[in-house]
Amino acid sequence: MNKTLVSFLVFVVGLAVFHNAIFPIFTPKEIGWILNRYVYFLLFVAYLIITHFVLRLKPPIAMMGLFVWSIGFYFYKFVLYPPIPWTLFITYMVMWSIGTFLYISQDPETFREFRKPIVKTIVGEYKFAQIILLTAMPILVGFGTYKTIYPSYQEPVELRTVHPAPPATTKVHGKTYPLESTNNPFRVDEQDNYKDSFPFLDADKHEYMKYVTEGGTIFFQNCHYCHGDQLNGLGMFSHVFNPTPANFIDPGTIAMLQEAFIFWRVSKGGPGLPNESTPWSSAMPPWEEHLNTEEIWKVILFEYWYTGWHPRTFGTEGSEG
Amino acid sequence: MLGKNKRSIATFSLGLILAMAIYLVPGMTSDAIAKEVFAEQVFAEEAFAKEVMAEEAVEGEGEAEIEWGQDVFYKDWEGNPLKGPVSGFPAPELGESDYNNYEFAPSRMLLWVANQQHLYFGSFVLAVPIFCMIIEFIGIRTKEEDPVMSAKYDRLAHDLMKVSLTAYSWTAILGGILLFTFITLFPGFFKYMAGIFRPVMHVYALMFLAESGVLYVYYYGWDRMSEDKFLKWIHCSLSVLLNLIGTVLMYLANSWATFMQAPGGIDSQGRFLGNIWHVIHSTLWNPVGVHRILGNIVFGGGIVGAYAAYHYLTAKTEEERAHYDWVCYVAMFIAIFGLIPLPFAGYWLMKEVYAFRQQMGITLMGGIMAWLFIIQAVMIGLLFFGANSYLHNGMSRVKGSHRYMKYCKYMILLLICTFTMWMTPHTIVMTPAELKAMGGAQHPVIGHFGVMSAKNTAVNLMITTTILCFLLYQKANKKINVPWATVGNCWISAIFVGAALNIIFLGVYGYFLPANQRVGLSVPQVTTTLTTLFAGTAINISMFKDSESYGDIQWGTQSKVGTYAIFLLAISFTWLMGLMGYIRSAVRLFWHVTEVVRDNSVDAYTLTIGEAGKMLTFNTLFVWTQFVVVFWVGSLTGKKAVAKAPEGVPVPAQQQQ
Repeated sequence: MNKTLVSFLVFVVGLAVFHNAIFPIFTPKEIGWILNRYVYFLLFVAYLIITHFVLRLKPPIAMMGLFVWSIGFYFYKFVLYPPIPWTLFITYMVMWSIGTFLYISQDPETFREFRKPIVKTIVGEYKFAQIILLTAMPILVGFGTYKTIYPSYQEPVELRTVHPAPPATTKVHGKTYPLESTNNPFRVDEQDNYKDSFPFLDADKHEYMKYVTEGGTIFFQNCHYCHGDQLNGLGMFSHVFNPTPANFIDPGTIAMLQEAFIFWRVSKGGPGLPNESTPWSSAMPPWEEHLNTEEIWKVILFEYWYTGWHPRTFGTEGSEG
Repeated sequence: MLGKNKRSIATFSLGLILAMAIYLVPGMTSDAIAKEVFAEQVFAEEAFAKEVMAEEAVEGEGEAEIEWGQDVFYKDWEGNPLKGPVSGFPAPELGESDYNNYEFAPSRMLLWVANQQHLYFGSFVLAVPIFCMIIEFIGIRTKEEDPVMSAKYDRLAHDLMKVSLTAYSWTAILGGILLFTFITLFPGFFKYMAGIFRPVMHVYALMFLAESGVLYVYYYGWDRMSEDKFLKWIHCSLSVLLNLIGTVLMYLANSWATFMQAPGGIDSQGRFLGNIWHVIHSTLWNPVGVHRILGNIVFGGGIVGAYAAYHYLTAKTEEERAHYDWVCYVAMFIAIFGLIPLPFAGYWLMKEVYAFRQQMGITLMGGIMAWLFIIQAVMIGLLFFGANSYLHNGMSRVKGSHRYMKYCKYMILLLICTFTMWMTPHTIVMTPAELKAMGGAQHPVIGHFGVMSAKNTAVNLMITTTILCFLLYQKANKKINVPWATVGNCWISAIFVGAALNIIFLGVYGYFLPANQRVGLSVPQVTTTLTTLFAGTAINISMFKDSESYGDIQWGTQSKVGTYAIFLLAISFTWLMGLMGYIRSAVRLFWHVTEVVRDNSVDAYTLTIGEAGKMLTFNTLFVWTQFVVVFWVGSLTGKKAVAKAPEGVPVPAQQQQ
């Protein structure tokens, strides 16, 4: 049998078998180190490489390019979970397509070989392929047009700035705080070994833990409805908000911000955001109207303690001045 | 490698590394040196201030008192603002009468276009002498061993200088247009800047005169000074002088922009405090300078490369094809050498921005400019793709390269994976339905790529991969004969594997560290990458001793894809340069001079991403149109010269065989 055809069958049939029979095994409810979708994907790639190696299959570069491109598509569309947003999917696929192009154009010979079937199809040497192509193209264009003009009721996406630049100072309860130099007054006697006491708040041992405990109480009285009892932004009300409440576990939120920044955000809430951060769409109230200054600082202390992050400091990065 | 002579590659690489070191070493050590010098200076100033104050106290009333102001940036030993005698007027509160405008376009846009065009051309004319310096030096060094190649280098340097000469006048004209635009449309602000920078502006003008003088002697004395060996060295030294003056010119002009962004040497009212060096040497001056020099080299390389690529594609004769293919290669070689350290200089600049005002740093990286930074990430990726594509295609025409071509696909895979990591945004654009499907604003897997630890790891791996590709290119046609070849190869492998492991380890480790310590990890990561560059290149070149060649590079056989990659590089870089310039300038938001002179014009707003993109594209197209004209003008004299003295044109090596 034609080796190109064998290679094609190895890919298509293999993918069908893997996707329908093996994929479900690797996606159990309890994800393990072996039984997970990414190991499955690596197995599939290994299957392709090994089969081609054992059967000594050397498909033409155009088909190799197609395989490579399809593997990327399969990964981003079906393997990567949870599904990624459309904008990111497109971006990733553009990257992957560029990579595929670099692969097929890495030297003039492979590129010539890649172009050959395309040119032959266009000039009519591959009559059958030309008929399929010329039939499929208008249908695809028509379908694309239909999809584009079909009314959609989704909210438009917006480029919202999540961490806007804070003002130089903020006034809370009549006192002005310069954000660059303000520190949490309750961050005292921190020994950096507080993780050992997790999840038990041994408030009697350290003054620091006492403040953390108080902050935790305030958090569970006020904040956890949205920010979640695990501080992961998945509180019971979180699903009705857009933007969703901040996920403090994520390394890109409080972990990379100064405590003073959080203080400003908590005190002023959604309405205190600058325009670039769409203050009209944030549901967070200005907590200065509900909590006193000390309570705000304690909540912040608790958030850092619970997540294990350290607030950002700029003390060691001074300028030459 | 760069032709027939196998030593030329070593000389060429050495020349480039030295040239790079000349720029990088002061940049890297300037902090430490500057601090020391600054400490002494501050001490002297404080002593002077005390002396003057004591004198005033003794002299008593009736004497004119000197008013002392506090510097907005510089601090003394104890961290208090540095004091200086008030020597200027306070910054004006600008009103409607301080701004002029035309009906057809906002003043800010006109100034932007004028500024950007001048900068593009300035960048090109500063870069070309650097090229010429290196290429002429190599030409002189190889004269005895290979006169044909030497003549080829000399001709290339001369040709480049010819184009640069036309571009030089063009730059001056654009500078004049910029100055008039500034004076006429922003008279109030210009008056303030002129008040502060008065002596700098005069020195700048004088330096421009010196630059012109040296440039004309350098160019018009080319043939005459080539006759004698000693004179030729003098001529080459002139190129060093030319570059030194050019660098000083650029640094002086930079001081205006860096002062606007992060002022120093004035008090909070904007009054000059008597020390012009403080005003010039504000906190961003050094990083911007180094970043611009490297950027100029890449930009210049891109333009020369694109020029040569165009001629290569349209060449009528084999000889022409061979020549321009070779020019493409030299230009790309230089551009890639500049491209590799460029991101590091960028990091240094951003670090200083954060140190100056955290707010400004957040506005750039996480705030209103963050989306532009994502676009920047994509553009940088394109540059690396273009560079690697050129190297792969270039390598394929070298005899003996089949030994290494099989690794190309793995390098591409690595590039794509790291690039995917590099450009994954922390905040993803999505619809509410997608947000629900994802279960939160952050993706549990790719969400980890949104922070700096992942980005640093990715960019360092991308650069390391490009360096590896470059080393393979270097040795593609070499049959290594040194007895320690195996040991050498093992060392190179160990350096690269070790570097990759170290970069990945540091990246992962960063997730477990507080943010301020995590920032520090970028230093060992960068050091690791630079180690691969310097140690890898050094070992690689050492192994070429007594090597045999599988055959010369077949100049004139570069593939079209590889040639188009050069256009991609050149255009992407032009656009990227405009983008980053816009970001750096626009981060001042509604200030002319940050926190000192407020922009009260009707144009004091931040553009939407789309509008900014249109302006950048316009500037890119506009400048390339001008480049085409300048190159065309340059080619007019070129044709004449060839017609007059065809014998003087050296024939490429392979044509002679």
